[in-house]
Order: sequence, then C-alpha cells, then structure tokens
Amino acid sequence: MKKKMTPYILLVPQLILGVVFIIGLGTGIIQSLGVIPAFGLTEPTLKYYKEVLTRPDLLQSLKYSLYIAFMSAFLATVTGTFLCAVLVSAGKVRGIIMRIVQIPIIVPHVVVALFIVNILSQNGILARILANAGLITDQQQFPMLIYDRYGLGVILAYLWKEIPFIIYFVIALMANINGSLGEAATNLGANKLQAFMKVTLPLCMNTVLSGFLIIFVFALGAYELPFILGATTPKALPVLAYLEYTKPDLRARPYAMAINGILIVISLIAAVLYYILLRRSTKKLAG
Amino acid sequence: MKRKKNIWEGLIIGIFIFLVIVPILTILVWVGTERWAWPSLIPQKFSMRAVNGILRNRQQLVRLCMSSLFISASVAFLSVVIGTMTARALECYDFFGKRLFSFMSMLPFLVPGTVFAMGVQITFIKCGLSGTVQGVIIVHLICSLPYAVTLMQDGTRAMGVKLEEQARVLGAGALQAFFKVTLPNLFPVMLSAFSMAFVVSFSQYFLTLMIGGGNVKTFAIVMVPYLGSGERNFASIYSVIFLVIMLLVFGILEWIVGCFTKAQEVEYY
Repeated sequence: MKKKMTPYILLVPQLILGVVFIIGLGTGIIQSLGVIPAFGLTEPTLKYYKEVLTRPDLLQSLKYSLYIAFMSAFLATVTGTFLCAVLVSAGKVRGIIMRIVQIPIIVPHVVVALFIVNILSQNGILARILANAGLITDQQQFPMLIYDRYGLGVILAYLWKEIPFIIYFVIALMANINGSLGEAATNLGANKLQAFMKVTLPLCMNTVLSGFLIIFVFALGAYELPFILGATTPKALPVLAYLEYTKPDLRARPYAMAINGILIVISLIAAVLYYILLRRSTKKLAG
Repeated sequence: MKRKKNIWEGLIIGIFIFLVIVPILTILVWVGTERWAWPSLIPQKFSMRAVNGILRNRQQLVRLCMSSLFISASVAFLSVVIGTMTARALECYDFFGKRLFSFMSMLPFLVPGTVFAMGVQITFIKCGLSGTVQGVIIVHLICSLPYAVTLMQDGTRAMGVKLEEQARVLGAGALQAFFKVTLPNLFPVMLSAFSMAFVVSFSQYFLTLMIGGGNVKTFAIVMVPYLGSGERNFASIYSVIFLVIMLLVFGILEWIVGCFTKAQEVEYY
C-alpha cells in the first residue's frame, strides 16, 4: 500500500503547479467565452471569437505570427541540425566550441533584441559598413530589416538564439549515435554521408522534432521580440492580445482572451501533429 | 579529399562562431559610447557617463542584482527538487494516471507563457500574490519546471534503478539507497537542470511584468524601457551586467560539475 502511494506523494508539488497553470488557462478560456461575472457578463457566447476572427487586422496578425514562428523554428531546426552534423563530423562535440554554442542559449531575448538593433537598424553597423564601402550613400537606402512587415529582425533574432539551442539539444545524442551505430554503418561499407543520412539522422529525428516544436510554440506565443523588433502593423498575436488586455475598457478583456484562445488552439494542433509524427517515426524505426 | 572536407568544416564552424561573437562585441562598444554619428564605423566620442550614472546609484544596482539573483536561484532550486521528484515518479513507477501527469508536466511547453500569464493574473491578484516576489517565483517556476523535468527524466532513465536495487539488496533502507547511491549519480544532471531553469527564469520579461506589476524588479524589466527610448548605452550596460552574472553562475556550476565528476558517457542506444 505504501509503495502504491509513493509516486503520488512525489507528484504533489508538480500537481499543485499544474493546477495553477490550468487555472490560468481555464480562466482565460472562460473569459474568452464572455463569462466575467464581476463585469456582469454571465452568458457564455462565441461572439468574441466570431468578431475577432472576422477582424481584418487579426487575420493579418494571425498570418504574421504563424509565419514568424514557422520560419524561425524551421530555419533554426534545419541550420542547427546541419551545424550539429558538421560539429560531430569535425569531432568538436565538447570543449571551447561547445562553450561558444552555449552563449546564445543563456543570452535573454531582450538582449538579443539589442544586438539586432545595433547591427541591422538603418543606423546600425551593417548599414555603416555598406556606406563606407560606397554601396549606399544615405541611411534611408538601407533596407528596413527591423520594424519591417516581414519580421526579418524578429526571425533573425530567434535564429541567433535558437540555432545554438538546437545544436545543444541534439549534439550529445548525435555524437553518441554517430560514434556507435554510425561507425558500424561505415564499417559495413556506407560512406560518411550515407551513414549520417540513413542511420544517425533518423535516430535523432524525434529529438530534432521536439526541438522544432519547442521553438515553434515559443515563437508563436512570445511577446518580447515582436514587441521590440516587430512592425507596428501587423502586430504579432501576443502583442495584440496584450494591447486588448490592457485597454482601460474592461469589456475588451474577452477579445484579448479570444486571441489567446486562438493561440492555445494553434499550439495544441502543433502538439497533436508532433505526436503523430513522433509515433510514425518511432514506428518506422521499429519496423 | 579528406583534407578538403576539413577546410569546409573549419570554414563553416568559423563563420558560425563569428556570427555568435560579433553581436556581443557590439554591446561592449556601446557601453562607453557617447556619440556615434552616421556613417562612421567607430564612435566619435567615448565617455563613462552612462556607466557612472548607473554606478552612482550603486545601492539600487545591488538591490536589482540581489532581487534578480534571488528570484532565479530560488526558481532553479525549486525546479531541480520538484523536477527530480516528478522524474522519479514518472520513470520508476507504474501508477494510475501516469500519462495524465506526464502530459501535465509538459503542458507549459505546449501553451505559450503569455496566454497563461494573462489568464492567471486575476487569480494572483485575488490571492494577494500579484506584485510580490513569491508570485513571480511561482510563475517563473511553472515555466522553468518542464525543462528541469525533461532533463531529470533523461537522467533518471539513463541511471535506472539497478544500482539502487543493488544497494537495497545489500541492506540499505529506501531513503538511504536513494540519497547515497542515486542522488550523487544524478548530481551532474541536477546541475544542468539548475542552470537551464536559472536561464529561463532570468530571461523572463512578460511574466515578470504581468505578475510583478512593476513592483518586482529584474534585469529584463529595468532594461527594456531603455531599449524603447533609444538610450542604447544604458541598455548595453544592463545587458553586460546581465551576461556577466549569467556567465559567473554558469562558470561556478561547471566548476562544481568538474570537481564532482569526470565526464561520464551515457549510452542512449
């Protein structure tokens, strides 16, 4: 009997924090349905979702957020995995280079925003270099890389931080597999590339996919970078939601929560897709 | 052929490292920059005005460091303790509701922190936790914990229960076996969980803003307004202090791991 209780006892603090998290989500979802008794709103309704989903600025924001999150996660995952393979192949899986890889992981997003401003703004170092090389004569000629509609500054900021994250996330596993099973494949006559593509990479795929999902959901819901580096229009969904949330008119609150509800739905869809892909790749490995 | 490939590898790694390092150098230059007119490549006027400005309020700076460090260290410590417990429950036992708990522990990975923050703010206000350090620690903890749990789960799984069972067979009590055999072996993983949780907490801006409500000062909260107002030298100084603290924390942790264990190889497959 005592033994049966042990896991539950171990899980008590986790459970308490989990409940706080679910209260947060639950409150948001209930408010998004227009139920805020304190403001005299008690009838649940989907009207806020309907209104929000037909607002043209919201659709723009939705596209913008999805685009930034997908591009950041996709490019970071591909580049990160590639660099990871290069590092493994070069035998640089620990030591000074891995220390350097760790730096961007510990640098906070707000500091990365400052880097991007320093380098890519129209007053930044890149523009100055071009001016000194005689390629442009005026600040205005330098393309808007930040505060732009295409979210380039935001995506580059994420890439600076997340490519090393992917490397760090995958490299221990990849080095290990490459050293054992990859080596075996090479001994059996595969060349280095074949061994990597057919043995090492498939075995790392689950971890790579997890990395992608973590970055995607993070970039989708993060406030800092689109707030600091993003365009005035379209705004990223979390920025838009926070704007509605802080409106003095409290009746705007359900709109903020409806935007959050949309974010939850997209994140969960991403999670379900991830589990399907995960199961499929695990099956493939088993079969 | 082999030689040529190594050159490519070196080149790619070199470019990568260059791109990582250069942005950091830009903030070091900005720390002492007073005037840097277009299109010059180096600042015209260096001064310590901004540095002195911040150092003059030394007390404030020390308080800021202390509150930031206290919050993140508490979050990291709690994450490791709770993460170890959760990982042990999920990896070493079979019980009813295991999948549900497993899903719950990963939920903060799946739902954006901003959504959680806006939803939970009202509850925190009701409980009197809004604007307090404890409140900020709780929300940071919720966002840091999944990282700690993931790392601890990997560690616990790799470690297995065989050694602990061995100790039990040899007559150790359950707690004794855990604290004397399993825990020391998990120690390096616990330290990486600690540093991960520390980083996640130390970098939080939005959650701190929402729940701290401007009362609770951390580096991110103090720095962002300077970024918005274009005072890049102030923003740079805070960023440098930010980074130095992080590097120190990491240096100390790495040093502890280094003292504690020679690099252990874990076979995954």
